[in-house]
Amino acid sequence: MRRRLLATLAAATLLATGCSATEGSGTDAGAPIQGGSLTWAVETEPITFNPHQYAQAKARLLVWNSFEALLTHDDKGGYLPWLATAWTASPDGLAYTFTLRGGVTFHDGERFTAAAVKANLDQLLVPGYAPTVAATQLKNYAGADVVNDTTLVVRLKQPDAPILDFFSSPQGAQVSPKSFGSPDLKAGGPSVVGTGPFILDRYTKGQEVHYRKNPVYDWAPENAGHQGTAYLDEVTYRFLKESAVRVGALTSGQVDVVEGVPATEQELLAGDPELSFTKQLNSGTAYSYYFNQTHAPFDDERVRRAFRDAVDLDAVLNGVYRGTATRAWSIVSPASPFYDATLAKSYGNNPSGANALLDQAGWSQKDGDGFRTRDGKRLTVRIVLSAPFVRDRRDVLAQAVQAAVKQSAGIDLQVRIVDQGTANDAIAKGEFELFDNSRADTDAGAALSLILPKGAPINRHGYTTPELETLVAQGAATTDPAKRKEIYTRVQRILADNATLLPLYAPADQIAARRTVGGLRFEPTAGVPGSAYNVWVNR
Amino acid sequence: MTAVLKRLGGSVLVLWAAATAAYLALRLSPGDTVDTLVGDGPDTPQIRAAIIADLGLDKPAVVQYLTYLWRLLHGDLGRSYVLQRPVVDVIGGQVWPTVKLTLLASAFCVVIALGLAVLTAGRGRWLRGFVSGVELTVVSAPAFLIGILLLSLFSFRLGWFPVSGDRDAAALVLPALSLALPLGGLLSQVLREGLERALEEPFALTARARGLTSYAVVARHALRHALLPTVTLAGTLIGFMLSAAVVVERVFGRPGLGEVATEAVGNKDIPVVLAVVMLAAAVYVALSTLADLAYLLIDPRLRKEAAA
Repeated sequence: MRRRLLATLAAATLLATGCSATEGSGTDAGAPIQGGSLTWAVETEPITFNPHQYAQAKARLLVWNSFEALLTHDDKGGYLPWLATAWTASPDGLAYTFTLRGGVTFHDGERFTAAAVKANLDQLLVPGYAPTVAATQLKNYAGADVVNDTTLVVRLKQPDAPILDFFSSPQGAQVSPKSFGSPDLKAGGPSVVGTGPFILDRYTKGQEVHYRKNPVYDWAPENAGHQGTAYLDEVTYRFLKESAVRVGALTSGQVDVVEGVPATEQELLAGDPELSFTKQLNSGTAYSYYFNQTHAPFDDERVRRAFRDAVDLDAVLNGVYRGTATRAWSIVSPASPFYDATLAKSYGNNPSGANALLDQAGWSQKDGDGFRTRDGKRLTVRIVLSAPFVRDRRDVLAQAVQAAVKQSAGIDLQVRIVDQGTANDAIAKGEFELFDNSRADTDAGAALSLILPKGAPINRHGYTTPELETLVAQGAATTDPAKRKEIYTRVQRILADNATLLPLYAPADQIAARRTVGGLRFEPTAGVPGSAYNVWVNR
Repeated sequence: MTAVLKRLGGSVLVLWAAATAAYLALRLSPGDTVDTLVGDGPDTPQIRAAIIADLGLDKPAVVQYLTYLWRLLHGDLGRSYVLQRPVVDVIGGQVWPTVKLTLLASAFCVVIALGLAVLTAGRGRWLRGFVSGVELTVVSAPAFLIGILLLSLFSFRLGWFPVSGDRDAAALVLPALSLALPLGGLLSQVLREGLERALEEPFALTARARGLTSYAVVARHALRHALLPTVTLAGTLIGFMLSAAVVVERVFGRPGLGEVATEAVGNKDIPVVLAVVMLAAAVYVALSTLADLAYLLIDPRLRKEAAA
């Protein structure tokens, strides 16, 4: 166990320097075996099984079992063919021509053709069906022309490089046009089908979803691990919301794989010779506290810096996550190709500096409880956590930070854990000085355009400059990965200089499994558990 | 006849009041359904307008409320805002697993309460004290903890029962036990109290004088006296199980109304919440009617009064 822990720490150190993001222990599953069934306990029951309606990163591992997109991400920030074998952009960037794979069928027997892709695009624009997709990912979509069965031209109103990200995202997955007539279309389920390696044939709300093998499947992308049909005959995903119950079900052999293993349970699993454990950092943004700059006290950069420096974050994370968390130094997750590693150790754990900054900012008196005051007013800052979104012991983390800033700098951090309605209300009224957020987008750039531009949905910190706006827009419009890295590096440095946020840790997904299970993997780029396509079990 | 009509009218009134109270509570509580649906995703006025129009939330609250009642009168419970399916479908599949759970839990509850109370009423001080102490511990322990402890021992360690789901009878035992233990403990306390009071009555002494064993006195005579308050309490407690089921369903990964209701309240999914509230209210009404009937069965004096 100790050795495993050391290995974890070593891997975490590697990660901090920006290397590969997967770690874990091996399996005894041997060579792939056809057949068999597998039970997989997952934390989150999806709100919907219709990929067009997808909104939960934790539900992503189910999507690609039964649905597929035109393209898929490789592990270098580019794209690979999937249901489309080739694509070209016109020189003006206003038209994309997709060559589609022939011989693909939906689970209901319908053929996958250019007309089906067009029908999917049309459906996404039906008012009220997928307003989010229509307003963001397809905002520049002008129309599509079916040239022949395997050729489709997508026309855009203006150049939009992330359109390729859409065609590789769950929302861009292809649903059989026949399913659009289903009364359960928005909820998804057995009557809403795709082309994937598994067929969703049974869903028991509150309990489980069951897939069986698609016997004619033969169109996996080249990075899927193998070709042809899936190895497993059947796979059942059971919804077990309590991590202790998931882990107990795994150790007692009632399930083969579990997803979502919090730090407190990881030590328990690490000592079991029959189990394997892997974890991967999510791409997207780090879990961070953003400072609300629209009013005092965080409108003063010195106070923001003081808060950031007051916390000995390594000690806090170690206490809360027992050495399993990877510290973040930037808004962008260390797993993202855009992460700026030079920011590591550029600030933090400097209580004397923090106290000097607060003295300068006028918060120089102390009251009876040891908190700093200015003009008789205590240095109180509030953070509101929405209980349904509290996971990963983030409530405990908030309390640890609370204790740290009180002790080292006399800052009164008030942590409130409330229902979602109350949280939304507090945010709408601006009754907070800090807010927490992390995004599991496959492309960190997509997350940044939700957080940084003026008026963006998560721009609750209130910081924006023309330069930042331009950079974020450029990053979204550029396809060259090297150029984008340059742009996003600049963005990260601006945010670090401004002390816009206190990055805490890089969110990760974990899989634990019996050693007889092979082929488990994480999705490239997204960093979330992959589908069951390449999984086999050696009983 | 008038009594039956009165009862029926009263029940409809209770259902209407429950639905209205729940509706008002949801409208008045902070937050907005649209906020919930938008979540942390992209958020523009167009997206909001599209969602609002799609759900019919653009009409005044009174109109929405009246429309809801009107549809309810026609047996239409509406569509879930979040799950995008008819409420009947959402709730329909969840009723039977919860009913099953509640029934078995009630049965366990009765066995625990009767067994413990009859065995320990008026018995030696230390036995009674010990059992009563255990009961109090179980009553005060959170259902979550009881569930996890039962799972750790009987499922993870001994492997006697499966951890989750609504499969067979074996999968029902642990969840039902987690529900029944605290309620059984509580009922047993009430029942023992009633038994002991009845045993101090002169008729108990008379029965003993006729040569009955102490257990026979408890079973044939004292029990009837002690049952009245217990049945009153049981009627309420079985309804209370619906809320306790929330935790148990979550721990055991079971389908059921509890989980659906919690999620719906969190998401402000008003149609689903109202349907669950109405269902719960209907169950309460039915249970209190049953309890009233049970009084007549238990206590002959009430039968005469009712007839008079």
